[in-house]
Parts: sequence; structure tokens; C-alpha cells
Amino acid sequence: MKTRLYVGVLLCAALVAAHPVLAHHSFAMFDTAKRLTMSGTVTGFEWTNPHVYIELDVPGEKGAVKHWSVELGSPSILMQAGWKFSDVKVNDKISVVLNPLRSGEAGGLLVTATVRDGRVLGNGPGRVAGQP
Amino acid sequence: MLFVALASHVQAQTPPDLSGVWAPYRAGRGADPKLNPPPPTPIVLKPLYAKPYEARRAAEDEATKRGEPLGTAAVQCVPYGFPRMMAVALYPAEIIQRPAQITIITEAFSEVRRVYMNQPQLPIDDVPPGYYGHSVGTWDGDTLVIDTVGIKESVLGFQNTPHSNQMRITERVRLVTTDMLHDQITVDDPVVLEKPFTYTLAYRRMPNYKMVEFVCENNREYLDEKGAVKMKLRER
Repeated sequence: MKTRLYVGVLLCAALVAAHPVLAHHSFAMFDTAKRLTMSGTVTGFEWTNPHVYIELDVPGEKGAVKHWSVELGSPSILMQAGWKFSDVKVNDKISVVLNPLRSGEAGGLLVTATVRDGRVLGNGPGRVAGQP
Repeated sequence: MLFVALASHVQAQTPPDLSGVWAPYRAGRGADPKLNPPPPTPIVLKPLYAKPYEARRAAEDEATKRGEPLGTAAVQCVPYGFPRMMAVALYPAEIIQRPAQITIITEAFSEVRRVYMNQPQLPIDDVPPGYYGHSVGTWDGDTLVIDTVGIKESVLGFQNTPHSNQMRITERVRLVTTDMLHDQITVDDPVVLEKPFTYTLAYRRMPNYKMVEFVCENNREYLDEKGAVKMKLRER
């Protein structure tokens, strides 16, 4: 019972934390209970509004490559979480943890990215309540 | 004695300077409960408006549970308008205060409100309906009082409440501490509401913050035929 309550609290905390990232739409199209980890080569990094995107080629079995589109917060929210527009570049080898689309398509919402210098960056917000 | 009286008179006449960048302050972990704004008063819609509002909320909840959230205008990069622009996630707002005009710029969608000081409000029917309406302000001691009319009916309000062209919004903005601002917002609409409702937003000062531009140029979200939010994917 205690464990279930704890999981519930964690889930609520995750929802509260995740919500501000997506100012302009709900995040319910992503399965926030599921996390996929993948490594690949960046084919695009779009530092744009309303969202930043990482385009990633992920090598699979027998040389097959699967392409993933990863949604991040907006530049403002990411900068407040410590990101810079130059943290990811085309041809970088990076790994990401994402919440996949519920539809099963190759897209997801970023949880963390390990960028080329080894830093692990989140998807904002870096600020907790009451701290700028 | 006279000096003290004069000094306090001068002080009372000098409004506080609200200029600066302010971030929404959310109650919760790390927050000081003494600075939390009071809870909102109930929103009571007239029956004609309550039914579709409740139906929409139920449909939204059901769709979200299904993982196919219903979209709003913001999904299509349409700005929020007033008053929802005053609280968009954690996006800051910048206040530029001059004696004749107070300008409020919010970061999400780069929305702008202009509050004309010490001018009479226009009759509602003389204001072309828009996203920000027509705002006039006065100082009531240390409190900035803003009166706004002329918000377009398609611009939804607090918690997506509907409104008529007769809506009037009164704000009371004041510094609670030097670094904490409260905006008490009262919505009155004799056509849609049984009675006015009030909610208060809190903001914390962000010293030295430079506002980030927000041009909604790369919107990959779209609404499908059921009105659900979907994400466009790129091919290799």
C-alpha cells in the first residue's frame, strides 16, 4: 500500500514537473510511464519555438537505421534548465531517454539527453517553485 | 511634525516601480506559504453556458485519459490573449512602467498589453474585440488598478471559461514584498456569469533576466479530424 502511494506521489510529481515544458499543448500523446533509451547520430537540431527538436538516426540490427523525432521544451524553458543552442550539433553522437508516442510511431518527448561532452541535460524546467 | 506629514504625503503619491521581469510563482516545494496567493473563488456560469462548458471539460478529460488530448487554439500557435497570457507555464513577463503607460510583455508568444494610465475607459461597444482589449490604469495607493474591456469572445478565459462581449476584467496589482508581485484578477460578465469570480496570480522577480524571443515558426503539433493533438514526424 505504502509503495503504491509512493509511486502515486512520484507520478504526480512527474506530471507537475513535465507540464510546464509543454506550454502550448497537453503531453498526453506521450506515454510518460514508458522510457526508451537510444543512441544515434544527430541529423538535425532545431532550436525553435514552440519546441526544440532533435532528429536522430538510430542504428538497429543488420545495419538498419531507424529515424526518431524527439520533442523538447521551448528555448526559454531549456535555457532556464541549463541548455545552450549549441549543445547539440548535426553529426554528434548522443544518447537520449524519451517517453515514446502512444501511437507507436518513432517519436517521443525527451527525458534526458547525454550530449557530446558527456553532460546529461534534462527537458526543463530547471527551476523548482519559487526559484528563478 | 510637519516634515513627517509632508514626507508621508509624498511617499503616498509616489507609486511603486513594478518595472522588471517577473516569473510565475507556483506554490509547492520550496515555496513560502505566506506568499502564496489566496485560492480562486468559484466560477458560477449561467445554465445556458454551464452545460456546454461542463460537456467540453468532460470530453477533454476523457480524451486525455485515452492519450488523445483535445487541442486548443494555442496548439495552432494562436496566442492566448488576455487574461490567460498572464500565466503560461513558467514563462516570465516583463513590465515596463512609465507614468503615462505601463506595458506588459509575456514571453510565450511574445504577447503585449498596453495599460493607458489615468484615462477614462472607453464604452465597451467602442472597442474593437481583440486579444488584449483596451486597458486603463490608476494607482490606488500602492496598488495598480487596471480595467480591461473588449476581449474577443473566442479568446477563452481562466480555465477556458467562456465570456460575452460584456466582460470586464479588473486587476489589482501590488508588490507583496520587493521581489513578489500579486495580480488579483476579477472577471465580471453579466451575460455569462451568475456572479464575478476572482483569482490571484503570484510572480517572483527575476533580476537580470533577458527575455527570450518566441516566434512560433516550427509547430509540429496539429489537430486530427477528432480535434486530438498529434505530432508530425520527419522522415530521414
